[in-house]
Amino acid sequence: MKILIAEDTQDLNRAVTVLLTRSGYEVDTAFNGEEAYDLILKNGYDAIILDIMMPKMDGITLLTKIRQKRILTPVMMLTAKADIDDRVAGLDAGADDYLPKPFAMKELLARVRAMIRRGGDYSTDKITFADLSLNGDDLSLSSNNTVRLSLKEYELMRELMLNSDRALATGHILEKVWKGEADTGEDTVWLYISYLKNKLTAIGSPVKISGEKGGEFTLQA
Amino acid sequence: MLMDNIYGEHYYGLLSFMGTLEKQISMMEQTLEAFNRTNIIDHTMARLKNEESVLQKCSKKGVEPTPDNILSNVHDIIGIRIICTFLDDIYKVRDGIRDLEGITIVEEKDYIAHAKPNGYRSYHIIVRNAQGYPAEIQIRTISMDTWAALEHDIKYKKDITVNKELITAELKRCADELASTDVSMQTIRNMIYGQM
Repeated sequence: MKILIAEDTQDLNRAVTVLLTRSGYEVDTAFNGEEAYDLILKNGYDAIILDIMMPKMDGITLLTKIRQKRILTPVMMLTAKADIDDRVAGLDAGADDYLPKPFAMKELLARVRAMIRRGGDYSTDKITFADLSLNGDDLSLSSNNTVRLSLKEYELMRELMLNSDRALATGHILEKVWKGEADTGEDTVWLYISYLKNKLTAIGSPVKISGEKGGEFTLQA
Repeated sequence: MLMDNIYGEHYYGLLSFMGTLEKQISMMEQTLEAFNRTNIIDHTMARLKNEESVLQKCSKKGVEPTPDNILSNVHDIIGIRIICTFLDDIYKVRDGIRDLEGITIVEEKDYIAHAKPNGYRSYHIIVRNAQGYPAEIQIRTISMDTWAALEHDIKYKKDITVNKELITAELKRCADELASTDVSMQTIRNMIYGQM
Protein backbone atom coordinates (compact mmCIF):
# COMPACT_ATOMS: atom_id res chain seq x y z
CA MET A 1 0.00 0.00 0.00
CA LYS A 2 1.44 3.30 -1.10
CA ILE A 3 0.50 6.64 0.45
CA LEU A 4 1.46 10.20 -0.41
CA ILE A 5 1.65 12.78 2.37
CA ALA A 6 1.72 16.42 1.26
CA GLU A 7 2.31 18.71 4.24
CA ASP A 8 4.60 21.75 4.41
CA THR A 9 5.15 21.69 8.17
CA GLN A 10 8.40 19.73 8.39
CA ASP A 11 7.80 18.24 11.85
CA LEU A 12 4.29 17.10 11.14
CA ASN A 13 5.26 15.69 7.74
CA ARG A 14 8.11 13.75 9.36
CA ALA A 15 5.91 12.44 12.20
CA VAL A 16 3.17 11.22 9.87
CA THR A 17 5.71 9.64 7.52
CA VAL A 18 7.34 7.71 10.37
CA LEU A 19 3.98 6.60 11.70
CA LEU A 20 2.71 5.37 8.34
CA THR A 21 6.00 3.68 7.47
CA ARG A 22 6.01 1.86 10.82
CA SER A 23 2.45 0.78 10.12
CA GLY A 24 3.66 -0.98 7.00
CA TYR A 25 2.79 1.56 4.32
CA GLU A 26 5.15 2.73 1.64
CA VAL A 27 5.24 6.52 1.93
CA ASP A 28 6.21 9.34 -0.42
CA THR A 29 6.44 12.87 0.94
CA ALA A 30 5.89 16.27 -0.61
CA PHE A 31 6.35 19.67 1.03
CA ASN A 32 4.34 21.78 -1.38
CA GLY A 33 1.41 21.45 -3.74
CA GLU A 34 3.36 21.38 -6.98
CA GLU A 35 5.69 18.67 -5.75
CA ALA A 36 2.66 16.62 -4.67
CA TYR A 37 0.97 17.14 -8.04
CA ASP A 38 4.03 15.89 -9.95
CA LEU A 39 4.28 12.81 -7.72
CA ILE A 40 0.57 12.00 -8.19
CA LEU A 41 0.89 12.22 -11.97
CA LYS A 42 3.99 10.04 -11.92
CA ASN A 43 2.99 7.37 -9.41
CA GLY A 44 -0.10 5.48 -8.43
CA TYR A 45 -1.15 5.77 -4.77
CA ASP A 46 -3.67 3.90 -2.69
CA ALA A 47 -4.37 7.02 -0.61
CA ILE A 48 -3.30 10.67 -0.49
CA ILE A 49 -3.14 12.90 2.57
CA LEU A 50 -3.25 16.61 1.68
CA ASP A 51 -2.73 19.69 3.80
CA ILE A 52 -4.95 22.55 2.68
CA MET A 53 -2.51 25.39 3.31
CA MET A 54 0.60 24.68 1.26
CA PRO A 55 3.04 26.85 -0.69
CA LYS A 56 3.05 26.93 -4.52
CA MET A 57 -0.35 25.22 -4.84
CA ASP A 58 -2.94 24.86 -2.08
CA GLY A 59 -4.57 21.50 -1.31
CA ILE A 60 -7.98 22.36 -2.75
CA THR A 61 -6.57 23.54 -6.10
CA LEU A 62 -4.43 20.41 -6.22
CA LEU A 63 -7.38 18.14 -5.44
CA THR A 64 -9.54 19.85 -8.07
CA LYS A 65 -6.82 19.35 -10.67
CA ILE A 66 -6.33 15.64 -9.99
CA ARG A 67 -10.08 14.93 -9.93
CA GLN A 68 -10.37 16.71 -13.30
CA LYS A 69 -7.82 14.22 -14.55
CA ARG A 70 -10.10 11.46 -13.31
CA ILE A 71 -7.59 10.27 -10.75
CA LEU A 72 -9.92 8.68 -8.24
CA THR A 73 -7.43 7.86 -5.48
CA PRO A 74 -9.01 8.40 -2.02
CA VAL A 75 -7.92 11.75 -0.53
CA MET A 76 -7.96 12.95 3.07
CA MET A 77 -7.60 16.68 3.76
CA LEU A 78 -5.86 18.06 6.83
CA THR A 79 -7.72 21.23 7.86
CA ALA A 80 -7.41 23.93 10.44
CA LYS A 81 -9.77 23.19 13.34
CA ALA A 82 -11.80 26.38 13.11
CA ASP A 83 -12.28 26.58 9.40
CA ILE A 84 -15.57 24.98 8.36
CA ASP A 85 -15.40 26.63 4.93
CA ASP A 86 -12.16 24.82 4.16
CA ARG A 87 -13.69 21.46 5.03
CA VAL A 88 -16.70 22.15 2.84
CA ALA A 89 -14.53 23.33 -0.04
CA GLY A 90 -12.33 20.23 0.34
CA LEU A 91 -15.24 17.80 0.32
CA ASP A 92 -16.83 19.59 -2.61
CA ALA A 93 -13.57 19.40 -4.53
CA GLY A 94 -13.62 15.62 -4.16
CA ALA A 95 -12.01 14.82 -0.82
CA ASP A 96 -13.17 11.59 0.79
CA ASP A 97 -12.49 12.59 4.36
CA TYR A 98 -10.97 15.39 6.43
CA LEU A 99 -9.14 15.54 9.72
CA PRO A 100 -8.97 18.79 11.71
CA LYS A 101 -5.60 19.77 13.18
CA PRO A 102 -4.37 19.03 15.74
CA PHE A 103 -5.25 15.36 15.52
CA ALA A 104 -4.32 12.20 17.37
CA MET A 105 -2.03 9.93 15.35
CA LYS A 106 -4.23 6.96 16.24
CA GLU A 107 -7.17 8.64 14.58
CA LEU A 108 -5.16 9.47 11.46
CA LEU A 109 -4.18 5.81 11.10
CA ALA A 110 -7.74 4.60 11.62
CA ARG A 111 -9.06 7.03 9.02
CA VAL A 112 -6.41 6.02 6.50
CA ARG A 113 -7.30 2.36 7.03
CA ALA A 114 -11.00 3.12 6.58
CA MET A 115 -10.35 5.14 3.45
CA ILE A 116 -8.24 2.43 1.83
CA ARG A 117 -10.87 -0.16 2.72
CA ARG A 118 -13.47 1.90 0.93
CA GLY A 119 -11.07 2.37 -1.98
CA GLY A 120 -12.87 -0.32 -3.96
CA ASP A 121 -16.06 1.72 -3.99
CA TYR A 122 -14.43 4.28 -6.17
CA SER A 123 -14.03 1.82 -8.97
CA THR A 124 -16.73 2.41 -11.52
CA ASP A 125 -18.41 -0.70 -12.86
CA LYS A 126 -18.59 0.64 -16.37
CA ILE A 127 -16.04 3.08 -17.74
CA THR A 128 -15.91 4.61 -21.18
CA PHE A 129 -13.29 6.19 -23.40
CA ALA A 130 -13.97 7.41 -26.97
CA ASP A 131 -16.06 4.58 -28.52
CA LEU A 132 -14.98 2.04 -25.92
CA SER A 133 -16.85 0.74 -22.95
CA LEU A 134 -15.31 -1.53 -20.36
CA ASN A 135 -17.69 -3.42 -18.13
CA GLY A 136 -16.43 -4.62 -14.76
CA ASP A 137 -19.39 -6.94 -14.23
CA ASP A 138 -18.47 -9.35 -17.00
CA LEU A 139 -14.96 -8.14 -18.01
CA SER A 140 -16.22 -7.27 -21.49
CA LEU A 141 -14.70 -4.63 -23.75
CA SER A 142 -17.00 -3.29 -26.48
CA SER A 143 -16.99 -1.13 -29.58
CA ASN A 144 -18.48 -2.57 -32.82
CA ASN A 145 -18.00 -6.03 -31.36
CA THR A 146 -17.54 -7.30 -27.86
CA VAL A 147 -14.73 -9.46 -26.47
CA ARG A 148 -14.37 -10.91 -23.00
CA LEU A 149 -11.07 -10.06 -21.38
CA SER A 150 -9.05 -12.09 -18.92
CA LEU A 151 -8.78 -10.57 -15.43
CA LYS A 152 -5.29 -9.11 -15.99
CA GLU A 153 -6.27 -7.73 -19.40
CA TYR A 154 -9.30 -6.10 -17.75
CA GLU A 155 -7.23 -4.56 -14.97
CA LEU A 156 -4.65 -3.24 -17.44
CA MET A 157 -7.35 -1.82 -19.74
CA ARG A 158 -9.05 -0.20 -16.78
CA GLU A 159 -5.81 1.41 -15.64
CA LEU A 160 -5.20 2.74 -19.18
CA MET A 161 -8.74 4.09 -19.47
CA LEU A 162 -8.72 5.78 -16.05
CA ASN A 163 -5.41 7.44 -16.90
CA SER A 164 -6.14 8.15 -20.54
CA ASP A 165 -4.38 11.51 -20.61
CA ARG A 166 -1.05 10.43 -19.19
CA ALA A 167 1.68 7.95 -19.98
CA LEU A 168 1.87 4.91 -17.71
CA ALA A 169 5.34 3.51 -17.13
CA THR A 170 5.90 -0.25 -17.37
CA GLY A 171 6.96 -0.21 -13.69
CA HIS A 172 3.76 1.51 -12.65
CA ILE A 173 1.67 -1.04 -14.57
CA LEU A 174 3.56 -3.94 -12.98
CA GLU A 175 2.89 -2.49 -9.56
CA LYS A 176 -0.78 -1.70 -10.19
CA VAL A 177 -1.87 -4.75 -12.14
CA TRP A 178 0.57 -7.48 -11.13
CA LYS A 179 1.23 -6.10 -7.64
CA GLY A 180 4.79 -7.35 -7.57
CA GLU A 181 3.92 -10.99 -8.40
CA ALA A 182 6.93 -13.24 -8.97
CA ASP A 183 8.21 -13.85 -12.50
CA THR A 184 6.59 -10.77 -13.99
CA GLY A 185 8.45 -8.08 -15.86
CA GLU A 186 8.46 -5.90 -18.93
CA ASP A 187 7.83 -8.95 -21.15
CA THR A 188 4.60 -9.62 -19.25
CA VAL A 189 3.43 -6.03 -19.63
CA TRP A 190 4.36 -5.97 -23.32
CA LEU A 191 2.49 -9.21 -24.04
CA TYR A 192 -0.64 -7.91 -22.33
CA ILE A 193 -0.35 -4.53 -24.06
CA SER A 194 -0.09 -6.48 -27.35
CA TYR A 195 -3.18 -8.55 -26.49
CA LEU A 196 -5.13 -5.37 -25.85
CA LYS A 197 -3.86 -3.66 -29.01
CA ASN A 198 -5.05 -6.57 -31.15
CA LYS A 199 -8.33 -6.85 -29.25
CA LEU A 200 -9.02 -3.16 -29.88
CA THR A 201 -8.58 -3.91 -33.58
CA ALA A 202 -10.75 -7.03 -33.32
CA ILE A 203 -13.68 -5.07 -31.89
CA GLY A 204 -13.28 -2.38 -34.58
CA SER A 205 -12.22 0.46 -32.30
CA PRO A 206 -10.02 3.31 -33.59
CA VAL A 207 -8.46 3.62 -30.11
CA LYS A 208 -4.73 2.82 -30.03
CA ILE A 209 -2.20 2.13 -27.31
CA SER A 210 1.04 3.95 -28.03
CA GLY A 211 4.40 3.07 -26.51
CA GLU A 212 7.31 0.69 -26.91
CA LYS A 213 8.30 -2.43 -24.99
CA GLY A 214 9.63 -1.49 -21.54
CA GLY A 215 8.53 2.13 -21.92
CA GLU A 216 5.46 4.19 -21.19
CA PHE A 217 2.00 3.48 -22.59
CA THR A 218 -0.86 5.82 -23.41
CA LEU A 219 -4.36 5.23 -24.68
CA GLN A 220 -5.16 7.41 -27.69
CA ALA A 221 -8.49 8.05 -29.38
CA MET B 1 -33.57 -39.25 -63.13
CA LEU B 2 -32.19 -35.83 -64.02
CA MET B 3 -35.62 -34.20 -63.90
CA ASP B 4 -36.26 -35.64 -60.42
CA ASN B 5 -33.54 -33.42 -59.05
CA ILE B 6 -34.53 -30.01 -57.74
CA TYR B 7 -31.67 -28.41 -59.69
CA GLY B 8 -32.88 -29.98 -62.96
CA GLU B 9 -30.46 -29.74 -65.85
CA HIS B 10 -28.05 -27.65 -63.75
CA TYR B 11 -27.31 -30.48 -61.34
CA TYR B 12 -24.17 -31.80 -63.00
CA GLY B 13 -22.97 -28.29 -63.84
CA LEU B 14 -23.25 -27.34 -60.17
CA LEU B 15 -21.41 -30.49 -59.08
CA SER B 16 -18.70 -29.74 -61.59
CA PHE B 17 -18.38 -26.11 -60.40
CA MET B 18 -18.15 -27.32 -56.81
CA GLY B 19 -15.37 -29.73 -57.77
CA THR B 20 -13.51 -27.00 -59.64
CA LEU B 21 -13.68 -24.67 -56.64
CA GLU B 22 -12.41 -27.40 -54.33
CA LYS B 23 -9.48 -28.07 -56.65
CA GLN B 24 -8.66 -24.36 -56.98
CA ILE B 25 -8.80 -23.91 -53.22
CA SER B 26 -6.54 -26.92 -52.71
CA MET B 27 -4.01 -25.43 -55.15
CA MET B 28 -4.24 -22.08 -53.38
CA GLU B 29 -3.68 -23.82 -50.04
CA GLN B 30 -0.49 -25.44 -51.30
CA THR B 31 0.80 -22.12 -52.64
CA LEU B 32 -0.03 -20.27 -49.43
CA GLU B 33 1.53 -22.92 -47.25
CA ALA B 34 4.68 -23.06 -49.33
CA PHE B 35 4.95 -19.29 -49.22
CA ASN B 36 4.23 -18.91 -45.49
CA ARG B 37 6.00 -22.16 -44.51
CA THR B 38 3.23 -23.05 -42.15
CA ASN B 39 -0.16 -24.69 -42.05
CA ILE B 40 -2.79 -22.14 -43.13
CA ILE B 41 -5.90 -24.25 -43.71
CA ASP B 42 -6.89 -26.93 -41.24
CA HIS B 43 -9.53 -28.47 -43.50
CA THR B 44 -12.08 -27.66 -46.19
CA MET B 45 -15.62 -28.96 -46.61
CA ALA B 46 -18.01 -28.68 -49.55
CA ARG B 47 -21.69 -29.55 -49.93
CA LEU B 48 -24.58 -29.05 -52.30
CA LYS B 49 -27.65 -27.65 -50.50
CA ASN B 50 -30.19 -30.41 -49.92
CA GLU B 51 -33.69 -30.30 -51.36
CA GLU B 52 -35.43 -29.60 -48.07
CA SER B 53 -33.25 -26.55 -47.30
CA VAL B 54 -33.67 -25.22 -50.84
CA LEU B 55 -37.47 -25.47 -50.59
CA GLN B 56 -37.43 -23.73 -47.21
CA LYS B 57 -35.30 -20.91 -48.59
CA CYS B 58 -37.57 -20.46 -51.63
CA SER B 59 -40.72 -20.31 -49.55
CA LYS B 60 -39.02 -17.81 -47.21
CA LYS B 61 -38.21 -15.65 -50.22
CA GLY B 62 -41.64 -16.23 -51.77
CA VAL B 63 -40.42 -17.69 -55.09
CA GLU B 64 -41.41 -20.85 -56.98
CA PRO B 65 -38.69 -23.47 -56.60
CA THR B 66 -37.94 -23.74 -60.32
CA PRO B 67 -34.28 -24.45 -61.24
CA ASP B 68 -33.79 -20.93 -62.65
CA ASN B 69 -35.38 -19.26 -59.59
CA ILE B 70 -33.19 -21.36 -57.34
CA LEU B 71 -30.06 -20.34 -59.22
CA SER B 72 -30.81 -16.64 -58.95
CA ASN B 73 -32.22 -16.56 -55.40
CA VAL B 74 -30.30 -19.14 -53.38
CA HIS B 75 -26.70 -18.00 -53.09
CA ASP B 76 -25.44 -20.91 -51.06
CA ILE B 77 -26.50 -23.78 -53.33
CA ILE B 78 -22.83 -24.64 -53.24
CA GLY B 79 -21.37 -24.17 -49.79
CA ILE B 80 -17.66 -24.31 -49.15
CA ARG B 81 -16.26 -23.94 -45.68
CA ILE B 82 -12.58 -23.29 -45.11
CA ILE B 83 -11.35 -23.77 -41.56
CA CYS B 84 -8.15 -21.96 -40.62
CA THR B 85 -5.92 -22.44 -37.62
CA PHE B 86 -5.24 -18.78 -36.82
CA LEU B 87 -7.14 -15.54 -37.20
CA ASP B 88 -4.76 -13.86 -39.67
CA ASP B 89 -4.91 -16.92 -41.95
CA ILE B 90 -8.55 -16.09 -42.70
CA TYR B 91 -7.49 -12.93 -44.48
CA LYS B 92 -4.70 -14.70 -46.36
CA VAL B 93 -7.29 -17.20 -47.63
CA ARG B 94 -9.71 -14.39 -48.47
CA ASP B 95 -7.05 -12.68 -50.58
CA GLY B 96 -6.40 -16.03 -52.28
CA ILE B 97 -10.11 -16.42 -53.12
CA ARG B 98 -10.18 -12.91 -54.60
CA ASP B 99 -7.41 -13.98 -56.98
CA LEU B 100 -9.09 -17.20 -58.18
CA GLU B 101 -9.69 -17.39 -61.92
CA GLY B 102 -13.04 -18.03 -63.54
CA ILE B 103 -15.20 -16.54 -60.80
CA THR B 104 -16.51 -13.09 -59.93
CA ILE B 105 -17.12 -11.95 -56.39
CA VAL B 106 -20.73 -10.92 -55.83
CA GLU B 107 -20.53 -9.96 -52.16
CA GLU B 108 -18.28 -10.17 -49.12
CA LYS B 109 -19.56 -10.10 -45.57
CA ASP B 110 -17.09 -9.70 -42.73
CA TYR B 111 -18.88 -11.11 -39.70
CA ILE B 112 -15.53 -11.11 -37.88
CA ALA B 113 -15.16 -7.33 -37.91
CA HIS B 114 -18.93 -7.07 -37.42
CA ALA B 115 -20.05 -10.08 -35.44
CA LYS B 116 -23.76 -10.96 -35.58
CA PRO B 117 -25.68 -10.04 -32.40
CA ASN B 118 -25.75 -13.69 -31.32
CA GLY B 119 -21.94 -13.80 -31.48
CA TYR B 120 -21.58 -15.55 -34.87
CA ARG B 121 -18.22 -14.85 -36.49
CA SER B 122 -17.11 -15.88 -39.97
CA TYR B 123 -15.98 -14.35 -43.28
CA HIS B 124 -18.47 -14.92 -46.12
CA ILE B 125 -17.78 -14.53 -49.83
CA ILE B 126 -20.47 -15.09 -52.45
CA VAL B 127 -19.12 -15.86 -55.93
CA ARG B 128 -20.50 -16.80 -59.34
CA ASN B 129 -18.86 -18.58 -62.25
CA ALA B 130 -19.23 -17.75 -65.94
CA GLN B 131 -22.40 -19.85 -66.19
CA GLY B 132 -23.92 -17.84 -63.34
CA TYR B 133 -23.74 -20.65 -60.79
CA PRO B 134 -23.47 -19.25 -57.26
CA ALA B 135 -21.40 -20.48 -54.33
CA GLU B 136 -20.92 -19.25 -50.80
CA ILE B 137 -17.48 -19.59 -49.28
CA GLN B 138 -17.24 -19.33 -45.50
CA ILE B 139 -13.84 -18.82 -43.90
CA ARG B 140 -13.39 -19.13 -40.14
CA THR B 141 -11.07 -20.37 -37.39
CA ILE B 142 -11.41 -23.73 -35.67
CA SER B 143 -12.91 -22.07 -32.59
CA MET B 144 -15.43 -20.08 -34.65
CA ASP B 145 -16.37 -23.35 -36.34
CA THR B 146 -16.84 -25.17 -33.03
CA TRP B 147 -19.08 -22.35 -31.84
CA ALA B 148 -21.14 -22.36 -35.06
CA ALA B 149 -21.60 -26.13 -34.81
CA LEU B 150 -23.09 -25.84 -31.33
CA GLU B 151 -25.22 -22.85 -32.28
CA HIS B 152 -26.52 -24.76 -35.31
CA ASP B 153 -27.46 -27.76 -33.18
CA ILE B 154 -29.36 -25.59 -30.74
CA LYS B 155 -31.12 -23.62 -33.47
CA TYR B 156 -32.52 -26.77 -35.06
CA LYS B 157 -33.21 -28.68 -31.87
CA LYS B 158 -36.87 -28.22 -31.21
CA ASP B 159 -37.24 -29.82 -27.80
CA ILE B 160 -34.85 -27.74 -25.74
CA THR B 161 -35.99 -28.10 -22.17
CA VAL B 162 -33.49 -25.74 -20.54
CA ASN B 163 -33.93 -21.98 -20.32
CA LYS B 164 -33.47 -20.71 -23.89
CA GLU B 165 -32.59 -17.16 -22.84
CA LEU B 166 -29.85 -18.47 -20.61
CA ILE B 167 -28.44 -20.62 -23.41
CA THR B 168 -28.48 -17.70 -25.86
CA ALA B 169 -26.68 -15.43 -23.39
CA GLU B 170 -24.14 -18.14 -22.57
CA LEU B 171 -23.49 -18.82 -26.27
CA LYS B 172 -22.86 -15.11 -26.79
CA ARG B 173 -20.45 -15.10 -23.84
CA CYS B 174 -18.59 -18.11 -25.28
CA ALA B 175 -18.37 -16.42 -28.70
CA ASP B 176 -16.82 -13.30 -27.15
CA GLU B 177 -14.42 -15.38 -25.07
CA LEU B 178 -13.38 -17.48 -28.06
CA ALA B 179 -12.88 -14.34 -30.16
CA SER B 180 -10.67 -12.98 -27.42
CA THR B 181 -8.67 -16.22 -27.26
CA ASP B 182 -8.25 -16.28 -31.06
CA VAL B 183 -6.68 -12.80 -30.83
CA SER B 184 -4.47 -13.85 -27.89
CA MET B 185 -3.19 -16.91 -29.75
CA GLN B 186 -2.47 -14.85 -32.85
CA THR B 187 -0.59 -12.34 -30.67
CA ILE B 188 1.53 -15.08 -29.06
CA ARG B 189 2.21 -16.56 -32.48
CA ASN B 190 3.32 -13.17 -33.85
CA MET B 191 5.58 -12.75 -30.84
CA ILE B 192 7.18 -16.17 -31.35
CA TYR B 193 7.81 -15.42 -35.01
CA GLY B 194 9.18 -11.99 -34.14
CA GLN B 195 6.51 -10.01 -35.97
CA MET B 196 6.06 -7.58 -33.11
